[in-house]
Amino acid sequence: MRWYRADLHIHSVLSPCASLAMSPRRIVEEARRARLDLIAVCDHNAAENGKFVRKIAQDHPVVLVGMEIQTAEEVEILALFPEEGPCLSLQEELYPFLPPLPNDPEVFGDQLVVDENEEIVRAEERLLLSPLSLPLEEVVRRVREKEGLVIPAHVDRVPGGLLGVLGLFPPGEWPAVEIAPWTDVEEAQRRWPELRDRHLFRSSDAHYPEEIGRAWTELYLPSPTFSELWRAIYQGGGRIIRPGPPLKEVGWNA
Amino acid sequence: MKLREVAEKLGLEFFVAAAPEAEVEGGYVSDLLSDVLAHAQPKQLWITHQRHLNVVAVAKLRELSGVVFARGIRPGPETLQRAKEEGVNLLGSKLDAFHTAGKLHRLLFP
Repeated sequence: MRWYRADLHIHSVLSPCASLAMSPRRIVEEARRARLDLIAVCDHNAAENGKFVRKIAQDHPVVLVGMEIQTAEEVEILALFPEEGPCLSLQEELYPFLPPLPNDPEVFGDQLVVDENEEIVRAEERLLLSPLSLPLEEVVRRVREKEGLVIPAHVDRVPGGLLGVLGLFPPGEWPAVEIAPWTDVEEAQRRWPELRDRHLFRSSDAHYPEEIGRAWTELYLPSPTFSELWRAIYQGGGRIIRPGPPLKEVGWNA
Repeated sequence: MKLREVAEKLGLEFFVAAAPEAEVEGGYVSDLLSDVLAHAQPKQLWITHQRHLNVVAVAKLRELSGVVFARGIRPGPETLQRAKEEGVNLLGSKLDAFHTAGKLHRLLFP
């Protein structure tokens, strides 16, 4: 086993709030520049660019296909999958629960699916940056049904963090959570003692190319893959998950 | 003022009347449960749009006199059940949060 560096929360140009420069090709270039071994593409309630990032990267870095799903409570969770199949099927399942608001690219930004040749495949018309009308518990159930990993995003952040919005962990299993890029671990654990006995991830939540790898998680694993990440969370066996250092930036904490 | 009287005067509907004689000394309006945990005071009536189950735990931890769901929002069966078990008052207002809070303020601090 050895240490690997992971950034499991990267937005692409399919997220309206992300830069137009966040094409699949650019994401791979920046991930290599940041010496990341494992990344996940997580757009708001959508997954279509993940497969192109995966195709371009050819396992350098290893790419997980994910989504940042916003629940009815306005809590954001990362849903991670080893490849696009189950994630795209989940996206399709969740889509009818998005409010039927059209995206205004002038106001919110473009929502583009871009392929491995930098060609625009399509523009998503419905605003993706909205909460689904499905409660957290139901979203978690659907992700796990498809054997995805559930990691609540930036839990200590407002808006969107599970602890920020809901105050405490609801009933259920929450073995792995993401803290905000700028969060000091000890300080957060004093404020939220329930963060002490969980696996903590830190990610960049990158919306711009230069932000990729600005914050990361260190993983001690036999190989930087989805199945080893799964074992690290649920089985241990000498595998270690530890958040990298906090970003020196004032952020939005609860 | 007793919660029962507040409910009558504000036209609030009891979803769970666990302790209608609870004292109401003030109010708090928030949808962020971490904010309520950190800042709400005991015996305040909490006005919110957040209908997640954790509302019950937070209201109990902060010893609030009850929770009012604004704008006709109704909590789900799980939340109602938990509130019964935990002895937390849950109410509903047909008015939005602004008008519910305004009326409550006028009633408590005329």
